[in-house]
Order: sequence, then structure tokens, then C-alpha cells
Amino acid sequence: MTTLLSPLALQDFAPHDDAASPPLFEARGLTVQAGSLHERPVQVLRDVNLTLRRGQVLGLIGESGAGKSMLGRVIADQLPDGFRVASGSLRFGATDLLALSKRKHRSLLGREIAFIPQEPMMALNPAMTIGAHFREHLRRLGLSAGQGRKAALAALADVRIEAPETVYDQYGFQLSGGMCQRVLIALAFISNPDLVIADEPTASLDVTTQGHIVSLLRALQKRHGTAVLFITHQLRLAAQICDQVAVLYAGEVVEEGPARELFLHARHPYTCALHAAMPNFDGEWRALASPSGQMPGLPEYPMLTGCRFAPRCASAIDACLAEPPVLADCGDARALRCIRPGAVARNAEAENAETNPLSQSKQLAAAPLLKVDNVTKIFRRGGWLSRAPGQTAVSSASFSVAPGEFVGVVGESGSGKSTLGRLIMGLEEPSTGRILLDDKPLGGDEAEWRRRIASIQFVFQDPRAALNPRRSTLQLVTQPLQPGQVSRQQRRAQAEHMLRSTGLPLDTLTKISSQMSGGQRQRVNIARALCNTPRLLIADEITSGLDVSVQAQILNLLLRLRSEFDIALLMISHDLAVVRYLCSRVLVMWKGVIVESGETEAVFSRPQHPYTRELIAALPPEDISKRWAPLAT
Amino acid sequence: MKEHKARHQLRLGEGRVIVGATFLLIVVAVAVCAPWLAPHDPNEQDLLQILLPPAWLDGGDWAYPLGTDSLGRDVFSRLIYGARVAAIVGTVVPVGTCLVGATIAILSGYLGGIFDKSISRLVDIWMSFPAVVLSLVLMVGLSPGLRNVILATILVDWTRFCRIIRSSVIGLMKLEYISAARIAGASHVGIMTRDLVPGVLPIIITLTSVEIGIAVIVESVLSFVGVSVEPGIPTWGVMIADGLATVFQAPWSLIFSVSAIVLTVLSANMLGDGLRLMLDPRVSERRRIEA
Repeated sequence: MTTLLSPLALQDFAPHDDAASPPLFEARGLTVQAGSLHERPVQVLRDVNLTLRRGQVLGLIGESGAGKSMLGRVIADQLPDGFRVASGSLRFGATDLLALSKRKHRSLLGREIAFIPQEPMMALNPAMTIGAHFREHLRRLGLSAGQGRKAALAALADVRIEAPETVYDQYGFQLSGGMCQRVLIALAFISNPDLVIADEPTASLDVTTQGHIVSLLRALQKRHGTAVLFITHQLRLAAQICDQVAVLYAGEVVEEGPARELFLHARHPYTCALHAAMPNFDGEWRALASPSGQMPGLPEYPMLTGCRFAPRCASAIDACLAEPPVLADCGDARALRCIRPGAVARNAEAENAETNPLSQSKQLAAAPLLKVDNVTKIFRRGGWLSRAPGQTAVSSASFSVAPGEFVGVVGESGSGKSTLGRLIMGLEEPSTGRILLDDKPLGGDEAEWRRRIASIQFVFQDPRAALNPRRSTLQLVTQPLQPGQVSRQQRRAQAEHMLRSTGLPLDTLTKISSQMSGGQRQRVNIARALCNTPRLLIADEITSGLDVSVQAQILNLLLRLRSEFDIALLMISHDLAVVRYLCSRVLVMWKGVIVESGETEAVFSRPQHPYTRELIAALPPEDISKRWAPLAT
Repeated sequence: MKEHKARHQLRLGEGRVIVGATFLLIVVAVAVCAPWLAPHDPNEQDLLQILLPPAWLDGGDWAYPLGTDSLGRDVFSRLIYGARVAAIVGTVVPVGTCLVGATIAILSGYLGGIFDKSISRLVDIWMSFPAVVLSLVLMVGLSPGLRNVILATILVDWTRFCRIIRSSVIGLMKLEYISAARIAGASHVGIMTRDLVPGVLPIIITLTSVEIGIAVIVESVLSFVGVSVEPGIPTWGVMIADGLATVFQAPWSLIFSVSAIVLTVLSANMLGDGLRLMLDPRVSERRRIEA
């Protein structure tokens, strides 16, 4: 029997030392097609070339719909129905994965190739203890129960779980997201695999947890000499932890090269655009630029005859549309799929000439628009006879917002920042304390409710849930105009005005929300909140579900709306860079308490509270010559 | 080629809806046209021609196509007239149950709090009585008659509507578009009619069509034990009761009335099932992905 944590089969290669060693994993001309025989097939992945050497981390970067996860599915032999590999090869060591029988392919998975999923909470069976997950997996690897327990406990200790014995007997739902992800990493590494595929392993985790998980992954990878395929949408994170990076756009690798090189000197217009769309956290404030539109969907692929990025590319010429460019080797260990490598400067002339919001706080009026006075919210648990102590979501919060001021509220999940927003909007009742609008406390009756919603509006996080799926954009955008108050012409005119203000084409008026893209839905969501020109907009994580380039569009939209409608904004977000981009003042929340507040620049450059410092340290720095804190330890 | 295929392909559940709805419409048409369709008065007795078999069997008579019962009444005519009670009960009861149940459910789910709790407990208690026993008790209290049969059935069955629709309203209330409508200034009535009702409409439609079958069964049960409509009005339940006495000599009356009930209920269930498949966004979404 093979002992664990020692090389299993297929590991009889020369020890990995440098780039000269044969690649462990290599995709050559891999093309995946979708569609039945009758229709014209859609090339979901087109001519993908990737090389991953033993002991290296290869980052696969792209926005949603780029085909990042599709590659993982090919490796796992889990293509959805109707999708098939049309051509190309996929070598793993000495074998071609595509030529293997299903059974042999499957026997590699979980042994030599292991996976770390995106949603750690969903990946653990709620009916099985953590120990049972290990036992099941280890039995497959051929270990007896007694050895299994020991190996599992050692693996749990390896992923820096402090009480492995306790966790072993617990269920997934009793653990936090970060703990679940540690367990899954332990499961992935226990067979000492050659290749680990991590599909956005931190996407659903808080930023401080993300740091821990990534540093853990990096440490285990180094110790075991494992190769990791790290799928992510965060360029900065990839620059920190990957050796090589490949950028994916619409199913094609558009640029490939060493992570740091590629991060510092992007060559492909799309990589440049990703850079320009990312709000920075350190350094000078700079305006974001974002290519218009969004990534094409699968049905549009057959129409894109040339370069798939060309329709959004600022430096595209006619030749770009003529035929698909090839991924050409640039000589310096980098590859590029673009016919005009020299022509690409930064894609950015900033879309709006707004001044830096960080310096705007001085011009604000003295009288506050909104004042939150010692507000506490305690959620009661159990029934009406229950004596259980309630959960304090917000504790003694006090602050004010001036007219036209953009204020950010940052914190991790469970910090009470969303509850604070809902309290101000009136969607929750404060347990104690007062909320004052124009220096008058907001009461609970109908007239006061009208006063509140006339001045304050709320943009919900998920537009899919916030927009009634059966209503057209016209109805949604003008929802605040009550039936009977306005004529049909007025309603339509107002809707068109709102669409123009939020940058939506007029033909969206008749569409329902399922016919629109995520970015368009979020614009409709914002347009509705602005319909009656409120003075304060509360935005609850409105960009967290969006891609970087769409996020940049929305952030610039908010800046433009400030000058057009003269609104104040309470931006609730977990993303410090987003808050820094928009807000002149910031509140940091932690466990329901506002632990720090002040001018954004002051708070972020000289954080006083340990929690603020921890939050900032957890961000991968833009200047990649700086060491990122989680990786330093 | 593709369009051609699409035109001939029925949507999921569409076949069931067509078959179910067609049969139910036939029942209604027969009920409306009963005086012209029936060859005899349903209560006309011919004591010389009792317990005749259907016309195509030995000893049958084409004057009585489906035979006669123990009092010499024409089974065919009684069956046709019986469809009248079934049709009335099968339309009024589902609509009434739906109105009562859905209104209370939406109010209860929307208002929440003590009102919701009281309604839920009331429904729990109500549903702990066996439905048939409860309607029997109600009918004994009320006097026989079509109006009271309808009333009793609605009073028993609204709870099922209420419970299912309420739970789906509670689910909708968690969606942010309800909060969004509130802060857009919509009135409570506005939210209930414009956001909640469209959201639960697929369930309401499905429940209502299934209720057609249930109403027909309940009425038949009440007729069978003799506490339904006034004596003298033929119903399928009364025919079963009459036929039971002579089931060994002449089972015709029983067989035809039971078949009428079974077919009606089956059609109603097919209609409901088909509508559920057609209207459930999750089912159509799955189909779209698979296609």
C-alpha cells in the first residue's frame, strides 16, 4: 500500500528545478464546441494553449463568461450536455487526458488531480461530518479507517486548523466559510496530488479570510511541490501568488506570460482595459476607464469573425475584424493574441473628467442632511416567549451625512453595515436611537414614511431579486411614480430621461429583467432609485456581483450622477478600493460597531484601529514590488 | 427545419391541458344543453321498464340508451342532468375557495405578526378535521340545497389554498423587489395586487383547477349519503347510492355514474398538472437549458 504524503504513481519524473523540466500539464490547441449537429457549433473555448510546470502556480484570469471554469470542467471530464472537445490535446504528465477512458480519467481525479471549489459551504455534504468526508475520500485512496483518522487529523492541522479533533466531528454548516475552505484544501492535498485546480477559491470569502486561504494554499503548494491552476477574476491577487498568468477573454487566451511581467507591462488591449477599470487602493487617485459594453455571450460568438475583443477595443482597425488573430510568441516567454501589439497604449482616456472625490469634502454645506443618533438594532431570537438574548447587529451608531456627500461604509460580512443601511431606509426599526432627516426625527406614521422615501432611496445589492421579473423596464424605472399621479406620456418621458442618465439604450424600455445583462439590470436598479430625485442614495454592495469592467462603468455613473442630480451617497461595500474611488469620508464597521471614521484618505493611509489595519493589510497591493502581508508570514 | 420542428412540438404539459380542458368543457356543454340532449325527464318513472340493461345488450331498449334504474328512470338522462350539479359545483366552488383562501393567505403573509399567527393556527385546527366529516357536519347544520353544498365545500377547502399560497407569499416577501416597491412609495394594496398576486398566480391557477375535481368528489360524497341538494335533483352521487341497492342485478347505473365522476376528476387533475408544468418557471427554465 502506498503511504500518504509520499509520491504516488505517475510521479516518476525528474525532480522539478527550472523551466526546462517537461511540463506537468499542457493544453495545446484545445477547442471546446457547444451546439447540436444541426446548428452551427459555437466554439466555447478556442485554441487554448497553456503550460503548467511542476511546482508552479498558473493563474487563469478572466471576467464571468470568459470560459475560465470551462477549462476546469474539461480536466474534470464534467462538460455539460451538448459541449464536447472538438480538437486539441490535454496532456497530464505522460498521458493525454482526452484519450483516456472515462474510468481511467476518473481514477486520476481526487488522486493526482484534486479540486478546490468556489463555494466551500455548498461543497460539503450537510449530512456528513468533516470526518466522514475524509473517511470516504481516504477509503477511495486505499487507507484503513484507523490510518485514515490519523491522516485526516494531520491534514487538518496542516491547514492551520487549531482544534482538528473538534472539527473532525463537526458538520460543514457549523463552520465558517473560511474554515470550510480549509477543510476542502486539506481534502484536496491529502492525496499529495500533482495538480490542484482551485476555481475562485476565495470568491465567496471575506477579504481577511481570503488572505489566510491564499497564503495557506501557497505554503502547501510550495511544501509539496504541487502545480496549481488558480482560476480567479482578480488580477492583483494573481500577480501576488502566481508564477505564470493567462488572461482569458470570450473563450480565448489573449495574453500569457510571467505574472509580474504581465501585470506591470500588459500588452493586450483587454488586459490593459482590466487594469484601467480596477480602482486602486494605494497611490494617486485616478479616474477609471472601462471598455464600453460587456463580454459577448455564447450566442454572439459565431458573429465575431475576427478578434473577439475587437468590438470593444479602442485601437481596433478593420483588419482586426477580418480574421481571428493567433496567439503569437513574443520571444520573452510571453505570448499575445493581437495583431497590433505596438499600437496599444493604455486604452484609457478617462470617461469622465470629474475631479477627485477625495478632495471634495471641504466644499460641503454645514447642515447635515441625515443624522444617525446613537442607533442600536438588536434582532430577537426565538418566539415571543423566548428569553434568549438578541443579536446586536448595530450598536450605538452615530454619524451624519451632508448634502451631496459621498460616504462609504466598509466592513466584512456580519459587520452590520447592511443593517445600518436598512435602518436608515426604514426597512428595519431601530431598537433604540433616532434617525434625523433635515434635523427632524423620522417617525413611524404614513406621512413620515412619505417624507423619508421622498428624500432617501435604496439600491439593492442583487438587481435580479430587486426587480420584479414580470415588469418591463418602463414600469420598473417609473415605479416611484404612483399610478394615477402622472399621465402615460409623462411616465414615458421620465423613463426615457432616466435611461439616458444611466446610460441605457432606449430599446431596453420594453424589456423585462431576464432579457438584460447584469450591468444593465443594475443600471435599471439605480435609475429606479433616482426616479423621484432623492437627496440621499443608499447603495448596498451594488457592484459586488459585477465584473471589473462593468463595476467601473457603474462607479463612473455614480460620479456623473452626483453632478447631475446633486445627490449624497451612502456606499456600503466590502471593497475598500471602491469606497476610496467614490467617497470622501468613510466609516469602518466591525461587529456592529463603527470602530473608525474620518476622511477616506486619512483613514486608509493612517488607520488607527487594529481592525482597519487588518482590513488594509489583507488587500493585495497594486505595487507588486511590495510584499503582500498574508504571504509574508 | 428548426422552426418547422418547433411549431409541432407541444410545450411541456400542453397535451395534458388540452385533453383535460376539452373533457371539462364537454361536461359543461352537456350540462347547459341537458333539456335538449336528454331523451327523458330524469325523474320520469316507468315501473314496467325497471333495471333495463344498456340498449346494445340483450333485453335492452333504444328508448333507454344506457338502461333504467330500479324505478324505471332513464340512466342516460339522469347522467346528463347530473352533469348540471357537477358543472355548477365544479365552477363555483373552485372560484369561491380560491377567492377566500387566496385573499386570507395574501393578507396573512403580507401583514405577518399576530394576524398571520392566528390565521395559521386557525388553519391548523381546521385541517385537523377530516374534510369529508367536516362538510357532512356542516351540511347537517345547514339545510340541503345547492347553495349550501357550495358554501360547505368552500368552508372546508379554503384552508388548503390558504396554507399553500401563504407559504409562497412568505417566500416572495423575502425577495427584495417587495421592499423596493415599498420604498418606491407603493401602497399596501398596490404591493399586494401588483407584486404579490402576479407572483402567486401560477399556484392559484394550478390549485383552482385541481379543486374542480375535489369539488365534484365532495358533492358526490354528500349526495351519496343524502345530505346534498334537494331530493328530486339528479346527481351522480345520488345515482351511485340508488345503483348500490341493485348492484348485483343491474350494475349499469353505478358503473356509468362512477365513470362520469372518475373521468371528470381525472380531467381536472390533468388540467392542473399540465398548467403547473406550463406555468412553473423552474420547469420551463430546465427545459430551456436542456434544449
